[in-house]
Amino acid sequence: MSSSANLTILLLSIFTISFSSVVANDEGLQRGARIFADQCAGCHGKNGGGTADNYSARLFGDKPTIDLAEVIAATMPEDEAELCTGDDAVAVAEWMQSAFYSPEAQARINPPQTKLSRLTVAQYRNCVADLVESFTRSTQPDDRKGLNARYYKSRRFSEKDKVIERLDASIDFNFGEATPDAEKIPKAEEFSIRWEGSVVVDETGWYDFILKTENGARLFVNDPQTALIDAWVKSGYDTEYRGALFLLAGRIYPLRLEWFTFKEKTSSVGLWWKRPHGTDQPIPARHLSPQRSTQILVVETPFPPDDRSDGYVRGTSVSKEWDEATTFAAIETIDRLWPMLKRIVPVGKSEERDEKLRQFCTKVANRAFRRPISEHEINVYVDSQFDSAATAEDAVRRSMLAVLKSPRFLYREIGGQHDQFTRAERLSFALWNSPPDGDLLKAAEKGKLDSGKRLREQAERLVNSYRGRIQLHRFLRVWLNLERLEDIGKDKQAYPDFTPQFAADLRASLELLLDESASSNDGGFQTLLTSDDTWLNNRLASFYSIDQQQEDTLFHKVKFEPELRAGIVSHPYLLSGLAYQNTSSPIHRGVFLSRGILGRALKPPADSVAPLSPDLTPDLTTRERVSQQTSPTMCAGCHKMINSLGFALEEFDAVGRHRKTEKDRPIDAAGYYRLTTGEIAEFNGANELADFLLQSRETHRSFARQLFHHMVQQPILAYGPQSIDELAQFFADHQLSMKSLMVEIACRAAEHEQP
Amino acid sequence: MKTRRDFLKQLGLASAALPFISNLSAFATPSAVSSRKQRLVVMFSPNGTVPWDFWPDEEGSDFELKRILQPMAEFKDRTLIMKGVCDKLKGDGDRHMRGMGCMLTGIELFPGNIQGGSDTPAGWASGISIDQEVKNFLQANDNTRTRFGSLEFGVMVPDRADTWTRMSYTGANKPVAPIDNPYQMFKKLYGQMKDRQHLTSVLDDVHEDLQRLSKVIGGEDRRLLEEHADFVRAMERQLQAGDASELNHVVPEMTAGVQEENDNIPQITKMQMDLLVNSFVNDFARSATFQITNSVGQPKMNWLGIDESHHTLSHEPDSNKEAHEKLTQINTWYCEQLAYLTKRLAETPEPGGDGSLLDNTVILWSNELGQGNNHTLNDIPFVMVGNGLDFEMGRSLKFPNVPHNRMLLSLAHGFGHHLETFGKPELCTDGPLDLG
Repeated sequence: MSSSANLTILLLSIFTISFSSVVANDEGLQRGARIFADQCAGCHGKNGGGTADNYSARLFGDKPTIDLAEVIAATMPEDEAELCTGDDAVAVAEWMQSAFYSPEAQARINPPQTKLSRLTVAQYRNCVADLVESFTRSTQPDDRKGLNARYYKSRRFSEKDKVIERLDASIDFNFGEATPDAEKIPKAEEFSIRWEGSVVVDETGWYDFILKTENGARLFVNDPQTALIDAWVKSGYDTEYRGALFLLAGRIYPLRLEWFTFKEKTSSVGLWWKRPHGTDQPIPARHLSPQRSTQILVVETPFPPDDRSDGYVRGTSVSKEWDEATTFAAIETIDRLWPMLKRIVPVGKSEERDEKLRQFCTKVANRAFRRPISEHEINVYVDSQFDSAATAEDAVRRSMLAVLKSPRFLYREIGGQHDQFTRAERLSFALWNSPPDGDLLKAAEKGKLDSGKRLREQAERLVNSYRGRIQLHRFLRVWLNLERLEDIGKDKQAYPDFTPQFAADLRASLELLLDESASSNDGGFQTLLTSDDTWLNNRLASFYSIDQQQEDTLFHKVKFEPELRAGIVSHPYLLSGLAYQNTSSPIHRGVFLSRGILGRALKPPADSVAPLSPDLTPDLTTRERVSQQTSPTMCAGCHKMINSLGFALEEFDAVGRHRKTEKDRPIDAAGYYRLTTGEIAEFNGANELADFLLQSRETHRSFARQLFHHMVQQPILAYGPQSIDELAQFFADHQLSMKSLMVEIACRAAEHEQP
Repeated sequence: MKTRRDFLKQLGLASAALPFISNLSAFATPSAVSSRKQRLVVMFSPNGTVPWDFWPDEEGSDFELKRILQPMAEFKDRTLIMKGVCDKLKGDGDRHMRGMGCMLTGIELFPGNIQGGSDTPAGWASGISIDQEVKNFLQANDNTRTRFGSLEFGVMVPDRADTWTRMSYTGANKPVAPIDNPYQMFKKLYGQMKDRQHLTSVLDDVHEDLQRLSKVIGGEDRRLLEEHADFVRAMERQLQAGDASELNHVVPEMTAGVQEENDNIPQITKMQMDLLVNSFVNDFARSATFQITNSVGQPKMNWLGIDESHHTLSHEPDSNKEAHEKLTQINTWYCEQLAYLTKRLAETPEPGGDGSLLDNTVILWSNELGQGNNHTLNDIPFVMVGNGLDFEMGRSLKFPNVPHNRMLLSLAHGFGHHLETFGKPELCTDGPLDLG
């Protein structure tokens, strides 16, 4: 957005339409009910529930009354559309809205309820990691970047040979036949380097670590004892070694790289990785930290995916596969904890040790169940295991196995209590997707989570931590539905430079915008939607013909066509992802805007239709072709909205480059949106579109609703019929601060009492 | 080259999900068609031998065992002593490295960055070792496939991966790390079984707690817990069925708390050998290596009253009689370990078959050098024991300086794996050694 003056361009006007009024009154509603009973109920059922013989689908949705009225007037009753038009159609539409069609009416008919939930897969992994971490040490990343480096003038890392100590931003060195420092390391024949610190991970998934060297090296990641890659013995001609690790977001993991050269002609060393959605690249400095950190227990056992049928991940179903996975994961946890156990419970005299192990198991149960455990539970989960097992070691394994298989660990709020521990747990899962930490448990124990104010203080502490930021960042990926955009490929002839590396760079650029927004204290949402800046490196800059070349290969914030672009809607990653190989796709972009950003419910097309090939219609612009294909009444019901949003981004082609013409005709980027209140907003191009979205109540509602579901994993309307409106209002009243909204959501969820 | 993933595999984790429950039967019962179960064990001890106390003077079946081989007296008629078999691999690496890396692979080391006491630096061997070749051959066939295929035992192998500490290779540049901790080996072999026992013992508690909680929870939520409880019950039943089919498994008793340290070498060796014999009884694998320390190994055999380290002693000239007396005692001790393993195999009946395990097993006792002070790769003290490959045992053979590749080929052929060459082809002319 170039200036807020753009807002004045925004035209909100009411179209002149052929209906006298869309404001409902009692008389109108009764008339609507009568007409529906006469003309509609025969096929659609008494309350739109459908009939087996004619039209079985239930009628519900979020179309504005005026849209509904238009559809009714134009198409209903089937084959006799002239029977119900004008005011009659409006009356029917109004009655339908209030009786059963709207989300509010649906919530009244079928009041949503919170359901007993198990831990989601991500929560399970966090719970195990935190459980173990509660016995070791937890580290939050600070702002330092890069790794500590120590250079030695021999191949042994001995103190007397240490000649340089410094911070290296990233590790990608080619020393050739020379040494890093001719004076301090005179002999190229023999020297060595040790890098130490941590790797900072902001997305959960498999990471390929890649060691590039023609010499010898060992890489340790999240395990100080056993190398992830051991290439100490240089043998033959390999110069690239890979090792994969599953890592959880929001944490930092210890990393150490030891490297040496000996009697080799040349030397080089590179520490690269392939992160989820990425390609091979040197690990960027922002993901490296000189901080020390502690090994984290990350369960690798695969789990079946969680249920997402309601549009968000939730733990309301169990299966045989899930139950088995919890068994394997429990055994994996115990096996991997085992070598650490000696440090947690030092070996001492045998009777003392037994007692200490018993105490350890009690603590494990306590922390795993996220609340104080009863005498009865201690008996079941600890004492009886110790009494029956042959050795103390066996007892520990059994006790931990029982705890990790226990419903008290696997489910949330299973005891049915609503006390301060429940509050602690709800707060923490909402803001960290993890169990409560020591601070929070202590606060619950001391009764300090009773008042809204104290609850809010804790919520603010969580949201302002690194993990709070990750929880928001993770949501932004879900909100933008990024998982649908993986593997973006383009026509190789038309766009030869659009390589997998290029696509990965685009993704990284978007991730930087998300990270910037998630880290921002309050302006984040505005940044997301209307930022003038785009994160670019040289590869991206040259593709988009930006002169400004940087000296390094890193990403920098650049003013990239600020008069044409604004935030995510014109970010080239999304524009390219929401497009075909060769052409833009107003439909993909329109669906993204209407469903994702404005939160409109879209049903799948009645018939699946193959898109019209551009080759068959060589004279039509994309806009004309799409309009033509979606003009039938059957399509237009949704596509009027979809297309008219997507058209506003027609200035950007299949790879997100700006264009003034298509097929030698000027681009028409005029678009509009009919609000659920019936009014029409018009905009032209990305900047005006972004301004509209930023201000729109529907955007706020949708954002708040989706964020709530992401954080709480329960239906928002179970927390009161006005919850969405209240949260949207809160969001608008608090300068669209995403963090404030998160705090509000977490506290509401924590305080909620099931009626 | 032990990496984290290897480590997890050794813990049994990487494959934890596979045979744990769903595949119980495959895990529990030995392969169905019981053809003869031929097996190979390679036992390694380091630093060469004392030739005059090792090689019999005679050739043929009428011979006297010298001091070092005396512990094998009881099994003399099942022993084959092969003089004149030489490691003829040249190229990079000093002779300890080549001796170790080429011993079972019969092929050169890659150039690399590991510098020995002389010669050029080198890396790993550039090919597969015979124990892994035999394993692959047996695993390729349904009738001879076993749960692990091969097991790599170690005793006090230093915690570093280099050319001196690895003798088994799954391929070029792919050394296999031996497991030298008996508890870790136990976990690999029997861990799942123990885990299942633990699981069986706790599932009842879990199930009861689920029922208790179901009572305080209402309506639809209760259904979720009931569904969960059904899965737990089903797993319990499956485990019980699995236990029944596992009754014939012999789980060895382990002495607890034996630390990995020099003075425990005798005890660890015995524990590992017992595990090896047990794994054969349970038919977990048919190829195994047993590596005592490493090339240039430095055990101090205090239990023999010897205070010096083995490798240091092995550099003493022939004229140092005192040192060679100790070296003879050291090598005799290694032979005693061979005799213990032989005895255990001979005493143990072949499950589901005739005779003893030793009737179907061949042990190759091997070394990376002929003699320590001159680092010769000629006359490696190769000895075979057992009747697994139907060689004519009970003989002292003297070959005319033949490449050891031909002996490795004989092993393959003994399993019915008729390779033309193994390792470096040029060293395989004239084919396998004729061992009768």
